[in-house]
Amino acid sequence: MEISALVFYLLAAITIGSAAIVAFSRNIVYSAFSLLGTFAGVAGIYVFLGADFVAGVQILIYVGGILVLILFAVMLTHRIADVQITNRSAGMIPAVVIIAVFLGLLIQSIRDTPWAKAKEIVYLPTTAAIGDFFLQHYLLPFELASLVLLAALIGAVVLSRKETKE
Amino acid sequence: MDLNNLDSLQFFYPEIVLTGVILFLILVDLVVVDKRWVGYFAFAGCLLSLWATLRLYVAPEGWLFHRMIVLDNFSLFFKVVSLVAALSVMWISFSSREVRSVHQGEYYTILLTSALGMFFMASSTNLLMAYLSLELVSLTSYILTGFLPRNRRSSEAALKYLIYGGVASGTMIYGMSWVFGMTGSLDYARINEVLAPGGMNHLTLFIAFLFILAGFGYKIVFVPFHMWSPDVYQGAPTPITAFLSVGSNAAGVAILIRFFFPAVSRLGDEGNWLFLTGVEWPHFLLYVSMVTMTVGNLCALNQQNVKRLLAYSGIAHAGYILMGLVVLNNEGLKAMLLYIIVYLIMNLGAFLVVVIVANATGREDIEGYRGLARRGAAIPAVCMAIFLFSLTGLPPLAGFVGKFFLFAAAIREEFYYLAVVAIINSVISLYYYARVVKTMFLDEPSPADQQVLMTPKDSALLGVLSSLTVVFGLYWGPLVHYTNESLRFFMK
Repeated sequence: MEISALVFYLLAAITIGSAAIVAFSRNIVYSAFSLLGTFAGVAGIYVFLGADFVAGVQILIYVGGILVLILFAVMLTHRIADVQITNRSAGMIPAVVIIAVFLGLLIQSIRDTPWAKAKEIVYLPTTAAIGDFFLQHYLLPFELASLVLLAALIGAVVLSRKETKE
Repeated sequence: MDLNNLDSLQFFYPEIVLTGVILFLILVDLVVVDKRWVGYFAFAGCLLSLWATLRLYVAPEGWLFHRMIVLDNFSLFFKVVSLVAALSVMWISFSSREVRSVHQGEYYTILLTSALGMFFMASSTNLLMAYLSLELVSLTSYILTGFLPRNRRSSEAALKYLIYGGVASGTMIYGMSWVFGMTGSLDYARINEVLAPGGMNHLTLFIAFLFILAGFGYKIVFVPFHMWSPDVYQGAPTPITAFLSVGSNAAGVAILIRFFFPAVSRLGDEGNWLFLTGVEWPHFLLYVSMVTMTVGNLCALNQQNVKRLLAYSGIAHAGYILMGLVVLNNEGLKAMLLYIIVYLIMNLGAFLVVVIVANATGREDIEGYRGLARRGAAIPAVCMAIFLFSLTGLPPLAGFVGKFFLFAAAIREEFYYLAVVAIINSVISLYYYARVVKTMFLDEPSPADQQVLMTPKDSALLGVLSSLTVVFGLYWGPLVHYTNESLRFFMK
């Protein structure tokens, strides 16, 4: 096996392994902390694919921002560990069967499909090109994304502020 | 035409106006003392945007902003629909007691942002834009749903909506990543080029479409992505419920048609669409449509809350609208567009009456409608009866015309089962709509029930909506002409 494939599988294992802990851990603090592995693993895969900017953003925003926020939320929420979050109306066995069947279908179709592959991975800085795209071809999505963020920001302020007497 | 960023601006005035108004409202809210002006400004801005939209009907069709969005009659149709929905909802909000308690500036800002998102949903021709516009509409919907301060139901509804929405859009973007993986492009025209010759793995396509349908389906509210709707409809402020039920539903239909028809199907010679061969998609939608209308109608039978009842009726109507997709031809799509207009009118009307009653009595359960006709509200009661019978599909009301075209499209393509199921469902729906009508007219009001009076603003809109429901039921020519003209996609 080539060394690059080895690195890839290592990163994938870290990502999926931590994701499994996130999903299955009984303690929500462990779940929150193992998100770190998932985010870092994904960032590693981005580096591996030659997407340096996206990898940096992934670390900065997901690990530095979102994860810290989640940890704060978990630690500041009163009696968060007592909440029963498991849905008891559907049992474990049907869930496992459905997921297994679905996973089988997914794997089969992923194997059978001729995916549109990039010709080769070029390890060059991508930031400048991304900046150009934002201001040329992808200007409209870029602006729309900023509108989405503005709406979310206003909404967060409205929903969380204390009611003042007028 | 295929324009770059700068040249596109001249065909982009409706969106520019709307964005400008949104930013303006945030500032105005800080300055004006009488907060009602914020709403009036928003209304005027929407009218201005509507005028700019109508002016674009004479403009040439084509791609804007490097093929991100498209300008054609189909997108203009849905822009008009979402603006009309937003205008009516603002009009209802002016006199709604619920809305008076919330922050006016943010309320109208978010409402207009949602309408703007619907613009993009109708016109995106790029998966990235489709995703972003859907997120914009979803986020603003969550916020509007949870807008009522210190209201448990409203907050619970917003949270449920957020969780369902998050799962649905996550599933959708995963499906989109599969489409990107197969075609190497986010652009609809390019996707069509790659997929149209066939040769792609059918199973993979089916799974990818299934995932994408989860995102679109949760906006249109069909089974099994409907679970959020009764709680959200009940918990949200009623004008917002009306907006979600007509606006976000219509935008969902727009994005669905845009993706599954111009993007992945080919148009045949006789107005029939050739879906990718080998992918059993139409049959799948056939069952979804039948299950959706049946579940919606059966669940509606026992509802005691009128908003919840209208939520289930909305699910049933999503099922009827889907019938137009199943037949895979232009006739079906035209019937869908026609039904969207008709549904917009009658559903807004029904919610307007709910708001009028809630303003006077604060009640939303069917018990609160006892003897409405004898409590000084004969006109709203009669109008409500018109809207409900129109929702059932009784002639000579607009709902009948809408259903007639949908059923006719199904029968002409020999989907007899579908038509029979739909007709049985219409009969079932008569029961629960008629139950409300019976409560309003035949039940005795108890002495404790308050009088129900309406404001001049409400009665004006009520008059417009109910007369449109009757007029379009008798004279549907212009409506059919408009929807026929609206079904024009720009593809190449």
